[in-house]
Amino acid sequence: MKKIETTCKLVMNHLCDNLGEDLDSPKCLDIKTHLESCPNCRSFFNTINSTVEFYKKYNVKLDDKGHKELLSILGLNEDDSNDDE
Amino acid sequence: MTNTSNKITDEQLIAEAIKGNKKALTEIVLRYEQTVYNFAFKICRDKDKAEHAMQETFLSMVKSLKQFSGKSKLSTWLYTIVSNHCLMLARSKKKYDYTVLENEDGLVNDKFISDWKFNPEKLSENQELKDILDNAIEKLPHDYKVVFLLRDVEGLSTKETSEIVNLSIPAIKSRLHRARAFLRNELNKTLHV
Ligand SMILES: [Zn+2]
Repeated sequence: MKKIETTCKLVMNHLCDNLGEDLDSPKCLDIKTHLESCPNCRSFFNTINSTVEFYKKYNVKLDDKGHKELLSILGLNEDDSNDDE
Repeated sequence: MTNTSNKITDEQLIAEAIKGNKKALTEIVLRYEQTVYNFAFKICRDKDKAEHAMQETFLSMVKSLKQFSGKSKLSTWLYTIVSNHCLMLARSKKKYDYTVLENEDGLVNDKFISDWKFNPEKLSENQELKDILDNAIEKLPHDYKVVFLLRDVEGLSTKETSEIVNLSIPAIKSRLHRARAFLRNELNKTLHV
């Protein structure tokens, strides 16, 4: 059987496709081995991961003013959620 | 979107809200306002626009609550409305050159590969970094941006994402792949050591 050549480019493309999926599957073994020995691909892998992490950690919170305005636009009242009608 | 562990389900609240129960409607808003606002911000990258999109989203929700079939989750439905409102708000936005997204060689190249000087943990205190992140994602076309945000950032499944953006599973995978590589390259321009 012909062994698939894992060039860096293939590795990087594969990483993009499969991020967050199972890197322990047999088809990923070659990739894993390559990653361990290739600093370039490892950096690429790390920076793709960091990209996702950056956007995951970048969150904003709705302030009280925005919250009150929303309820008022909808004709709702904060107390509605606590009352027993 | 995370559901609260309340005993009352979204479906029960919707049924009550349709009957005119304001308490139930308020509860729905309280459950989802933060997620809707945060997601709207992630698409618009602007707090005023995000607030506007959030208001429009809940107004639409109230108007069409009766049509909510229950076939999909309330969160899926809300993501869809937010995404559409943000698309409308972005209509006047300037156009970028998207050919790079179509070209595989342009996206994955082994030039300038090194680790980054910033660490995601340091994000909250770094406005400069936030600006870099805003600018990079602003360059993505709407559907690439939404696919990346839903799959990677919000953690939705490929199937759910495909319902929201109305694209096939292979189209989702391809956009996700390209969006990741594109963003990584954009960030790499300023973040590489
Ligand atoms: Zn390599």
